[in-house]
Amino acid sequence: MKDQRGAPPLEDQRTTVYKVNPAHPESPTLPTLRTEELLLNMGPQHPSTHGVLKVILELEGERIVKSPPVMGFLHRGVEKLAEDGTYHQFIPHTDRLDYVCAMYNNFAYCRAVEKLMNIQVPERAEYLRTIVAEVQRIIGHQFWLGTQALDIGAMTVFFYAFRDREILLDWFDELCGARLTTSWYRIGGVERDLTPSLLQKLGQFLDYFPPKIDEYVVFLEKNRIWLARTKGVAVISAQDALSFGLSGPTLRGSGIDYDLRKYEPYAAYPKCEFSVPVGKNGDTYDRYWIRVEEMKESVKIITQCLAQMRDGPIMAEVPSVTLPPKNRVFTNLESMIQQFKLFSQGFDAPPGEIYCGTEAHKGELGFYIVSAGGGKPYRLKIRAPSFIHMGAFDFMSRGYMIADAVTIFGTYDIVMGECDR
Amino acid sequence: MGLKPATNPDVEPAPIELQIDGKAVTAKDGVSLYDVIAGTGKIIPAMCYHYTFDPFGSCGMCLVTQEGKKAPVRSCTAKAASGMIIRTEGDDLFQARKKAVEKHLSVHPLDCPVCDADGHCELQDMAFQHGVTNLAAAKQKLIPEDTRSLALDFNMNRCIACGECINICKDVQMIDALQFMKKGGFTQVVAKGDTPLVCEFCGDCLAVCPVGAITNKFSKYLYKPWQLRKTTTTCNYCGDGCQMSVETKDTEVVRVTSLLSWKNKWGERSDTAKGHGGLCVRGRFGFQFIDSGERLKQPLVRQNGQLTPMPWLETVDAAAERLAAVKAKYGPQAIAGLITARCTNEDLYVFQKLMRAAIGTTHVDSSARYGHLNFVRAVRRSLGVGRMLNDSEEITKAKAILVIGSNITETNPIAGLRVKEAIRVYKAQVIVADSAVTNIGKLASHPLLIKPGTEGLFIQALLKAALEEDVIDAEAVGKHPAAFAALKQALAGVSLEALAGATGVTSAQIREAATLFAEAPRSVVMCGDGVVRRSGGYQQVLALVDLLWITGKLGRPGCGLNTVVEEANEQGAVDMGVAPEFLPGQANYEDDQALARFAKAWNVTLPTGRGATLMEILKRCRSGKIKALYLVGENPLATLPRSCDVQAALEQLDLLICQDPFMTETAKLAHVVLPACTFAEKDGTMTSQDGKVQRVRETMDSLGESLPDWHILAAIGSRLGCAMDYESAQDIQREIMTLLPGYYNLGQPKKIAASPDAYYWGDGYAGEVRTRYSSLIARRSPPADHSFTLTLGQLLYHSGKLSTRASGLMTIAPNSGRLRMSPADMERMGLTDGSRVRLTSSAGAVELGVQSDQALLSLACFFPEHFNEPPVKDLIPVETDPVTGVPAFKQTAVSIEKV
Amino acid sequence: MSVGAWTKKMLEAALFDEIWDAMKVTFKHMFHKPITFQYPREQRIIPDAHRGALGLLRYDDGKERCVGCDLCEAACPSRCIKVVSAEDKSLPLQRYASEFYIDITKCVFCGYCVEACPVNALAMTKMYEYSTHDKRTLLFDKPRLYQIGEHHLADAKKYLYAHNQEKNDDMFHDYRYFFPQSVVQSTQPPPKHLTS
Repeated sequence: MKDQRGAPPLEDQRTTVYKVNPAHPESPTLPTLRTEELLLNMGPQHPSTHGVLKVILELEGERIVKSPPVMGFLHRGVEKLAEDGTYHQFIPHTDRLDYVCAMYNNFAYCRAVEKLMNIQVPERAEYLRTIVAEVQRIIGHQFWLGTQALDIGAMTVFFYAFRDREILLDWFDELCGARLTTSWYRIGGVERDLTPSLLQKLGQFLDYFPPKIDEYVVFLEKNRIWLARTKGVAVISAQDALSFGLSGPTLRGSGIDYDLRKYEPYAAYPKCEFSVPVGKNGDTYDRYWIRVEEMKESVKIITQCLAQMRDGPIMAEVPSVTLPPKNRVFTNLESMIQQFKLFSQGFDAPPGEIYCGTEAHKGELGFYIVSAGGGKPYRLKIRAPSFIHMGAFDFMSRGYMIADAVTIFGTYDIVMGECDR
Repeated sequence: MGLKPATNPDVEPAPIELQIDGKAVTAKDGVSLYDVIAGTGKIIPAMCYHYTFDPFGSCGMCLVTQEGKKAPVRSCTAKAASGMIIRTEGDDLFQARKKAVEKHLSVHPLDCPVCDADGHCELQDMAFQHGVTNLAAAKQKLIPEDTRSLALDFNMNRCIACGECINICKDVQMIDALQFMKKGGFTQVVAKGDTPLVCEFCGDCLAVCPVGAITNKFSKYLYKPWQLRKTTTTCNYCGDGCQMSVETKDTEVVRVTSLLSWKNKWGERSDTAKGHGGLCVRGRFGFQFIDSGERLKQPLVRQNGQLTPMPWLETVDAAAERLAAVKAKYGPQAIAGLITARCTNEDLYVFQKLMRAAIGTTHVDSSARYGHLNFVRAVRRSLGVGRMLNDSEEITKAKAILVIGSNITETNPIAGLRVKEAIRVYKAQVIVADSAVTNIGKLASHPLLIKPGTEGLFIQALLKAALEEDVIDAEAVGKHPAAFAALKQALAGVSLEALAGATGVTSAQIREAATLFAEAPRSVVMCGDGVVRRSGGYQQVLALVDLLWITGKLGRPGCGLNTVVEEANEQGAVDMGVAPEFLPGQANYEDDQALARFAKAWNVTLPTGRGATLMEILKRCRSGKIKALYLVGENPLATLPRSCDVQAALEQLDLLICQDPFMTETAKLAHVVLPACTFAEKDGTMTSQDGKVQRVRETMDSLGESLPDWHILAAIGSRLGCAMDYESAQDIQREIMTLLPGYYNLGQPKKIAASPDAYYWGDGYAGEVRTRYSSLIARRSPPADHSFTLTLGQLLYHSGKLSTRASGLMTIAPNSGRLRMSPADMERMGLTDGSRVRLTSSAGAVELGVQSDQALLSLACFFPEHFNEPPVKDLIPVETDPVTGVPAFKQTAVSIEKV
Repeated sequence: MSVGAWTKKMLEAALFDEIWDAMKVTFKHMFHKPITFQYPREQRIIPDAHRGALGLLRYDDGKERCVGCDLCEAACPSRCIKVVSAEDKSLPLQRYASEFYIDITKCVFCGYCVEACPVNALAMTKMYEYSTHDKRTLLFDKPRLYQIGEHHLADAKKYLYAHNQEKNDDMFHDYRYFFPQSVVQSTQPPPKHLTS
């Protein structure tokens, strides 16, 4: 089918050519199929694929030859929105990045701004931040476990994981007033302290939860379908994982012990003892195992934090950056001025650029802020782990079956809200 | 204190050297240390400092350390001296400044939520920057807010006693309406004598107030800065071309602010000479007409005698069809057009192109015809230039200024500020010749009160005195001996004493003025409506040129003849060729080469011959020669006296198209009414009186269905078959740029030089000059019983009829409906404020109340031209200038009887 | 691998041991109370801190708290608030919001407006059931917001207490905003905390 110039005509590459029986031109008989790669659009769909993603699978039979992901269906211009508001106003927008785990996004963003403004967060706030961040990590891993198992075909785990996740979401609701879009972190501290009721509920949960982890594991650990579909699937070598910039459990599954909580300790992590589980084979099963272990570690961290935490302020007091307490606003002109300046114009950030990475449960969530002075960021770039991980999708899925595409996709713990931003 | 750069522009002050933060800095001697530091680019916080006036030193923020002194010094009131070693940064200074802020905060109320200055407040900024927190219990003043004034509210709880308002009022505006007063244990700013504030309401005090102590009554509580969209545009009221910021919220204008504010406090005297960025009462408080409820929002077409709303497409079709029908039936010369000089250059250009190229008529005129064309024609005739000669900096730095026939601080307050600065900073001698006591007269060194209507005679007397005192510039007159002889001859017939007697000033005063004017190194003339809007205005401007010529001022740098104009773009109207005698670029319409150039550019054949001017157009309407009239923003019915019979003229028409933002008296007679935008809703440029072409920017979406003028005109033009496919004002600008290269000067006009030689060499001069001076004498013959002179003039608070739509200005200066008379006359006639009189002139009589006006001379009376109720304007006969066709209808002789 | 381990593994594989394990867990759950709420018959208990629909509040004597300072508008990250402020003509120099709109379809329920409000006029309530067929009714105007504030006054106050915006004590009960006074007419006695 090559023409004079040697290149196949474009349309012929994409269509199956039927050969017509010359004896009966009106009815094509058994077609003689040309063997060629099949292009299959997987997606775009919602919501079972963790957001809206399309993958153009190039198949040879059932094997994936190439699978370039098409992203951007959930693009909302969050980075651009950041340039239009004060630093403070961007916190609710970060809720909507990885909408499953808003707290960690808040945390990562606030840390970045605090680094820019050089603010020291009070000790109690650091503990609170760590506790809530680890609760969020548990939620994130529960969510991953449930949905990954569901994607692969195991439904029960999903119910149990989500049942326990509900307890924590309700705890969030009581803490900050929203289950998902939390906006609880503030630049320089946190919005609200833990009440006795919240502490008690968290304590209860910590007692209740570890046995439940074993319960999830019962469904999967020996489940031969689960094992068949996770062991040796989505394998990436340590070298390649590093080259692709993977992070979090996805990287640690390949045997690289890299965790920002240990490498660049922040918040109350240096004061807690915990271990970072590391895999060996770099496959989905190892990542699953890491996540389960991390849940157990999180419980440990929370318990330690609760034990160590002392009373104290929950907001840094830097008058030109942090909000004054409300009771002072009523009676005190300086605080009133602070309130008005901070809400209407924001604080005056020094010109410069900073990058601050935080170990979210998906991987390294980084905020890169360019400030040209003034109350608004000049440019804000989000290093979203989901986006970085999607870069490796094509590489990692080559040679696997179509059905494995779902596993590979899930193995990173992708949320498209964060990926497309 | 005078800690400002030396005030004599001719002398360069000695340089001094000092050290600031370890760097050697050179500065001028006698300057405030603060200015020197600011000049290096360092910004020291200061709340009471503004570069427009002398340092005051009340806020205590601008502290620096000087080596050798123990305590920090206030840099604003310290004089920079040679060898000083200054440090401006450091923690000790930060703490000292913080203390100063805390002092102000400790007596400040918790008003931020309701304060109009919130978000634009220096005290907020300072408190925030210095991180003030947790002060001990604040003391509250609990002073009630002074809301008695008509435009400004004074909340002295918020005052930090920086004195900026008082200083700018006293130093820059030279009005001195405010003072400090210790009342209730606190120093407060009050109007002089603690009365309700009545002043020029320029609002500069409001602009420089760093807190919310002085607030704008017309936008009180309506906004917070973060809700507003701020656009810098050019003011539409007078020809000064001030830049202002219109702040809008959707389609609502909330306030107008000046570029002058406490935020731009760094600069020096050479900057203020170009203008300090302030506004006058009209610009600042007269914005309400933009979003007024009276605005036309829909096109209207007369059907069965009623104006009925119609969609745009059909209206444009109807207008174009009917114009085409008139053209087909009576020929293109049966159509005429008038446009207001408040339109942008682009509107004006498209209008004359529509009339000339699309319709093919030569009858096109603008409201510059009401006076400014007298000036332009005279300086074109004599000096070969088409606008005033000096820019504002030259006026500020002049040594002698002759202000004649112009109440400049009222008609053009910002141009007036330049004269005030000349008096205050550069110690200029100012001669003010006016028939009323004006504010500039009160400040001037030589205020001369002349009898109403004798401006021409006064100029003649100055010429005569210059000759008699022999202060003639021999070199200048020596070049044109024949012309000088003719001038001497023309002036020989009358004695200086006779002229002095006629004008009402002594000959000694005139001699002094003439000498002073002639001997000053830089002399400028500012003439206003008292010259150009009177009968014989054209000749009077030429007489001023003669004066400048014989005193040798023509062509000398820093000298020249200047005017002030009433409407924003009168100069632009002339430059865009909206006059029968001019093509764009002031090319002579009867110059065949120029005509051919434009015909080629527009790809049409242009009609030849000179068209009719404004008064002639109305006359031809009346006689039935003109059958269709296209009015853009013009309202001749309300402008011209009844004797012009405008109503009859308009009723004769087959087609009257009115394009206006408002339903004017004229529009009510129209067949088609097209709703136009105001300046605030369109893009374009305007040319100020001194030739600055400045941007007009769209500050908000146009109201209702109204459209920019050029848009409507281009639609009709295209419908008439002329290629006018402009999509934006930029397209028109591009066309103007190719035709008039260099016209868009970005607010930096080219300096123009007078070239009088052709005029004084010319043969016509001798004949012209003879009639010029004899006619001036002859004019003084009022009817015997009409002993009073009635003048219609402009008020500070109004401009044309437009400002009467602005509720703010109407609150400040409503139409009292009363004739203003001098108190002496009123006493003599037994009149008190409010008693009624009958005002009789040759054209009729009107009965109205009177009020006293200290500014007026005996036997003079005044009525604001902005108001037609009662119809005082109808009393005045119209006199049309034979050369320029300018109608004079602002002054007449009347008699007053008590009724 | 030892023979015993191998046998065990084979046995487990043959008997589907993992299914038995899993079934054990599943069957245990048959004796638990179901955790699902049968909404709308059953309703969740909403915590005090919950960020639900916004309402406007009044002082105890019925006067509007809002002074129309527009700070909520500035603080809102989704630009869903529009305040039109004006001077109350009957009470000289008192600023108030003549119109107040919250486009609840745009609202992200972050609570910043409440945090910003210098007089605690805004509060979030536990109201979350306001779905409608007509999207236009979701532009909450001033009367609607005051209505929400009145109906959910207790919840709104609890919200303010929970988020440290207000304390349930005398100082806050007595507090009211003190407007500038006019020379023409005084409308409000100066409050205690300013005169002492």
